[in-house]
Amino acid sequence: MNAPVRHFLPRHPGVVRLGAVILILIAWEIAARWFIDPLFISPPSRVFASLGTVWQTNGVPAALRLTFFELAVAFAISVVIGLVVGLAVGLQPFARRSMMPIILLLYGLPQITILPIFILYFGIGAASKIAFGATHGTFPIIITVVAGVQNLKPILLTSARSMGASRWHILRWVIFPHMIPSFFAGMRLGMTGVLLGVLLAELYVSTAGIGHFTTLFTENFDPTKLFGLIAMLAAMAIALNEIVRRAETRFGRWR
Amino acid sequence: MARRDERAARIGSHLVQAGFLLAVLILWYLATNRWGVNRLLLPNPISVWHQLLDVLRTGEYLPDLRVTLTELAVAFVLAMTSGTIVGYFVSRSRYAIRVFDPLFAGIYSIPIILFLPLYVLFFGLGPASKIALGTTISFFPIVLSTIAGFGNVDRIFVTAARSMGASDYRLFRYVLVPAALPVILTGLRMGFTVALLSIIGSETIASLAGLGHHIVELAEGMDMPRMFAYIAFVVVIAALLNGIVSFLEARGRRRG
Amino acid sequence: MTAGDIAVRIKGVSHQFGEAGEAQHVRALLDTSLDIARGELLCLIGPSGCGKSTLLNVIGGLLAPTSGAVEVAGKPVRGPMPHEIAFVFQENALFPWNTIVENVRLGMLFQGVPKAAHETRAKRSLEAVGLADFAHHYPGQLSGGMRQRAALARALSLETEILLMDEPFGALDEQTRMILGEDLSVLLARTEKTIVFVTHSLGEAVFLADRVAVFSARPGTIKKIIRVDEPHPRKPDFATSEKFAALRNELYALLHDEIRKAVSEAAGARVAGADGGAS
Repeated sequence: MNAPVRHFLPRHPGVVRLGAVILILIAWEIAARWFIDPLFISPPSRVFASLGTVWQTNGVPAALRLTFFELAVAFAISVVIGLVVGLAVGLQPFARRSMMPIILLLYGLPQITILPIFILYFGIGAASKIAFGATHGTFPIIITVVAGVQNLKPILLTSARSMGASRWHILRWVIFPHMIPSFFAGMRLGMTGVLLGVLLAELYVSTAGIGHFTTLFTENFDPTKLFGLIAMLAAMAIALNEIVRRAETRFGRWR
Repeated sequence: MARRDERAARIGSHLVQAGFLLAVLILWYLATNRWGVNRLLLPNPISVWHQLLDVLRTGEYLPDLRVTLTELAVAFVLAMTSGTIVGYFVSRSRYAIRVFDPLFAGIYSIPIILFLPLYVLFFGLGPASKIALGTTISFFPIVLSTIAGFGNVDRIFVTAARSMGASDYRLFRYVLVPAALPVILTGLRMGFTVALLSIIGSETIASLAGLGHHIVELAEGMDMPRMFAYIAFVVVIAALLNGIVSFLEARGRRRG
Repeated sequence: MTAGDIAVRIKGVSHQFGEAGEAQHVRALLDTSLDIARGELLCLIGPSGCGKSTLLNVIGGLLAPTSGAVEVAGKPVRGPMPHEIAFVFQENALFPWNTIVENVRLGMLFQGVPKAAHETRAKRSLEAVGLADFAHHYPGQLSGGMRQRAALARALSLETEILLMDEPFGALDEQTRMILGEDLSVLLARTEKTIVFVTHSLGEAVFLADRVAVFSARPGTIKKIIRVDEPHPRKPDFATSEKFAALRNELYALLHDEIRKAVSEAAGARVAGADGGAS
């Protein structure tokens, strides 16, 4: 390796990372083209080329739009409920002591086991996906909001009291700004939960939505279209995660 | 004075918790027996209980449990091996950590369960696809915590050991491993939990056997009491497994 | 002292934490009485755990004593009195999510100062402590010494008669303490505040105080009050004078045995498994 390159790479690990990803893509391409039955794996080049066909398949754009809608609504519900419950529990010491163990217990349950119940109750449409996503997203937000209210340094409360702050003053100017970084961190976890919940529900329902198409492409042994669809969903997930992460960096930190 | 208030608050909170659970059970009973909630939606808690006892008695759960546990064991062992090895070698170079850690973290941030259909396409509906997905998902928390564990060993320990003439192997065995172990154990516990959840999840979505699949079967047969019973059973099994793993983690941390 | 000259009257204050017989039981203060004159700077000094911070909190209304009472400006103290008393704590009590000037203004908001006055008062107090150029910085961006200056500015902007300072320079290095002590003396010569100042440092007590109340080891009570007859603002060369050395030696003599007592009691308590409480 000549000198300039040797000095460039150490300072840009991102480039090396990109290089590693490209290497994997190349390996995948080679394996898929020459070594593996095209019935099972499709090379990235073909997947990329047929993204257009996937999009034009009847019903796919609508299913993707619906999924996005479900994610947005589930996230909004999680944030609202998470913030309200989190504040209610976090601010009242007795409520926190009695309710937190119950909340943590519910959070620890494998919610995937009750997915069939959600579908039975709410049907195969958007409602069940939103509900299932919301249950996954609410708990992390409650827990982080409670933690954010909890770990306030007592000296800050004492100081505010000594200056004559009323209960409202303390809530608005001390507790609330202190809790904001935790709240944004919670939202990041909440988005991860919502993504998991909604996508699990979508994959489970094979008669409508995304699940219909994943089942269709799988049964027809069409790895190209299947991977294309999954790639689109993954892109959606990455984009949403990124939005919440950026929001956390911008609003969720005190400088 | 403060002590008495403290004790009262503690008792009070336990009462609230007990009261909550009791209220849920009572409401459930009333809803199905008095208020005419559709039995197709919410089964009678008493019949759920009977079904649960029946499931346990007949041992009907055994083949499914065996399938799920096998899948779990294989997936976890594969993830543990690959995760710790890859994690150790990445951790040896600061630069490698900077390259790969964000990459692993980034991939882990999306729900990898998305790729289940691809695994089903490649491996079929049998245990292989569940194992493959379980291994994939479980790999990430393990590799990330291994990198963190070995990567954050305080340099001073390495310096001190080297100055006393420790060989590479001795350094690894007596300094690096004990120092990194607590973090790695936590990662292993998380990997186990995540493997269990993803295996039950993939059994629910696309499978021919296993605990998750059985719940779906009961749902499709609209056998509500038995389904509820089975769900309760699976929840208890999951809690047991997680409890065992947490206990092992705590023990490992104390000794290390 | 005539009644009108007394800013704070402490009458027979005792305080204990926890109940007798419990593991956390600590008798922090025992029957302490003291009159603090208007406009004087009184230092409370004593070994660790002798109750000086506890007494400060009782004066400020942050803690209700198990027995005894405190009167401030003739009124009994029953809770925080933000219009009469302002605090400066040892721990960093600035809100990290607000800038310095926002912190100062928030104090005035809490106290109830009309919004119109915020700007001028904030500017004035920040200039008084020398932080006018750092008004829009966050506490995290400043050094420890500057943070305590900011805390002082916030307390000053409340324009209270009484200032309670609980080891405000305790977390700072000696050089910073020296400078801040000199600046504090200059600042307070200009105002007529009554200041109660808790410290561990003998030199700091002699340099700053008009009177020094020396506490015994736990349970704390006032052993002796020493008067320092030197006008404010105190010049830096006061610290090297003979008068200073003599007073400092007197303090040392009074405190030495108490400190030894406190240290051996703390060691014994640690061995027995209990842990101390107040200071």
